[in-house]
Amino acid sequence: MKILIVEDEKALSDSMVEYLGEEGHHCEAIYNYFDAIDKIGMYQYDCIVVDINLPDGNGLDLIRFIKKKSILVGIIIISALNSLENRIEGLEIGADNYLTKPFHLAELNAHLKSINRRISYGGSNQIIMNEIKLIPDEHIAFVNDKEITLTKKEYELLLFFISNKNKVITKSGLAEYLWGDYMDLADSYDFIYTHIKNLRRKLLKEGCEDYIKTIYGLGYKFESN
Amino acid sequence: MRLLNKITLNLLSISLFIFLFGMVAFYYVLREQVDQNINLELEKREKSINKELDSVHSTTNPTVNLSEKVLITLLDKPRPLVSFSDTLLFNPDENKYAIYRQLGFVKNIGDQSYFIQIFKPLEETDRLIVRIVMMMNLLIIIIIITLLIANRHSSRQDWKVFYDTINKINNYDVNSFEAFTLKRSDIKEFADLNRGLLTMTERIKNDYLNLKEYIENASHEIQTPLAIINSKMELLMQWGDMKEKQYKIVADAYDASNRLSRLNKTLILLAKIENRQFPESSPVNPTIMINHQLESLEDLINSKKIKVTKRFENDITIQINPYLAEILLVNLIKNAIRHNITGGDLIIELTKHSFEIANSGPPLQMDPAMLFERFHKSSSSPESLGLGLAIVQKICTLYGFKVGYNYNNEMHVMHVEFAKG
Repeated sequence: MKILIVEDEKALSDSMVEYLGEEGHHCEAIYNYFDAIDKIGMYQYDCIVVDINLPDGNGLDLIRFIKKKSILVGIIIISALNSLENRIEGLEIGADNYLTKPFHLAELNAHLKSINRRISYGGSNQIIMNEIKLIPDEHIAFVNDKEITLTKKEYELLLFFISNKNKVITKSGLAEYLWGDYMDLADSYDFIYTHIKNLRRKLLKEGCEDYIKTIYGLGYKFESN
Repeated sequence: MRLLNKITLNLLSISLFIFLFGMVAFYYVLREQVDQNINLELEKREKSINKELDSVHSTTNPTVNLSEKVLITLLDKPRPLVSFSDTLLFNPDENKYAIYRQLGFVKNIGDQSYFIQIFKPLEETDRLIVRIVMMMNLLIIIIIITLLIANRHSSRQDWKVFYDTINKINNYDVNSFEAFTLKRSDIKEFADLNRGLLTMTERIKNDYLNLKEYIENASHEIQTPLAIINSKMELLMQWGDMKEKQYKIVADAYDASNRLSRLNKTLILLAKIENRQFPESSPVNPTIMINHQLESLEDLINSKKIKVTKRFENDITIQINPYLAEILLVNLIKNAIRHNITGGDLIIELTKHSFEIANSGPPLQMDPAMLFERFHKSSSSPESLGLGLAIVQKICTLYGFKVGYNYNNEMHVMHVEFAKG
């Protein structure tokens, strides 16, 4: 996937480039509005990650520009502004997602993948990882072609793990992905523990390999080779 | 006008009016008394004249009109030439002693010295004096009372502005969005006071707003460095060859920076609610929202074996910002799950006027009044920010909902009463 990252904070931009690069994406980092306009005009991208507050312009204008030119590209807004109006405005003008800083790289990655699926395959594709098969449209999962009954959260959890396979996923990253911001995260780790326990049990029961590893103190890792 | 002048002027005009009125009244009352007195005397004269006339045709002794009586005696001892004194004389007409004023003087007639006494009755005049004194007392009392009442009344008018000001100061809320206005006064002191207060409150408000803006900006600015820290840490933990000890260090640092970012987000939210930055509201169906939330927390509820009971009235909508409604409900529901016991009950009741959520659990270890305070949390969950219920309360305050807590039958009950109308 070709990704353009428009973020003026170089350190943050570097992090995204590195994390997404490891996932096999080709990332380009741009630090201001006008360079971004140039790039978008010249090259084709699958997805654009854009910050709203840029030194020489507004990320929302960039999105308006993209929509005016009818460029087919996935758009994720990352912004320190966390108000409903900003969110709604961003989504209304055509962004696919809105992440509030600080966000988890794993979450960004998961969203990028889901946008990519939607754009590339119209969402009708399947996600296959060894013996596991997910059908995102219908929120169902198969192990060795046998359907397993997952709750909504368990399904989301599995999808998140597969999107970030071989990465250490933190508990707080999981909690925020599953329940969103503003959730007081007390006990959330217990909740996550419960979810993962159930998910693992359901997967193992159908003869799935035990991919979920606990990383001491930090979180989990979905390991597959 | 100065307060002192105003009061003096008031008093002066009121007293002037009352005294003028009192003087006229006094004149007529006095007049009446004097007339009565003279009438009485005239009647007496009439009586004595009648008697005198009668006595001409009879053998009875003619009446002695003491007022006209002149007593002439030989000077028996040395006396002052002229002397006034009071004396008691027997009045045969009325058959009693009465008090008279007498003038005694010495007169030489030929070589003989005589002592001559003339009398005037004091009784009538005495009565008159008593009456006048009484009248005067009455009048003074009336004047004082009227003065008091009139003064109070006019003072109240003058002080009205002052009391209004005090009242407004007592209810002053720097967070309030209503403009702070004070009544106009034509009294200099009060006008000065109000002007001073207006300048002061405006300054306080501006300072407060500046401070708030500063905090908000700071909070927003903090988000970006936090995002950098978190992302770097996330990258760091992907290094496969770390020892457990190193993971632990990264985990602790990551948890802390995460908590900081959540704390920051929540505080920004609280500030926004306080600043009424969620103005748009629409009819929200809480039933759908609650069901949706329960669904997303289903696994959790199941893992704690909590029995959920829903008592919903049909077709309920409340006018509220949907986003805030969701935050409100999520916080209350999650709270009720978190503080529930394994195998406990969760009862949600929704009526037109209120929302009530109850969960099983041991009694609170703390003062229930502290529940809604910021950063007040039970020691058992260090991950909690202690802001959940503070948010609930802020949202309720914003919409005029009443939120309360009580403990009944081993159930913690949170009660939200929607605003009427």
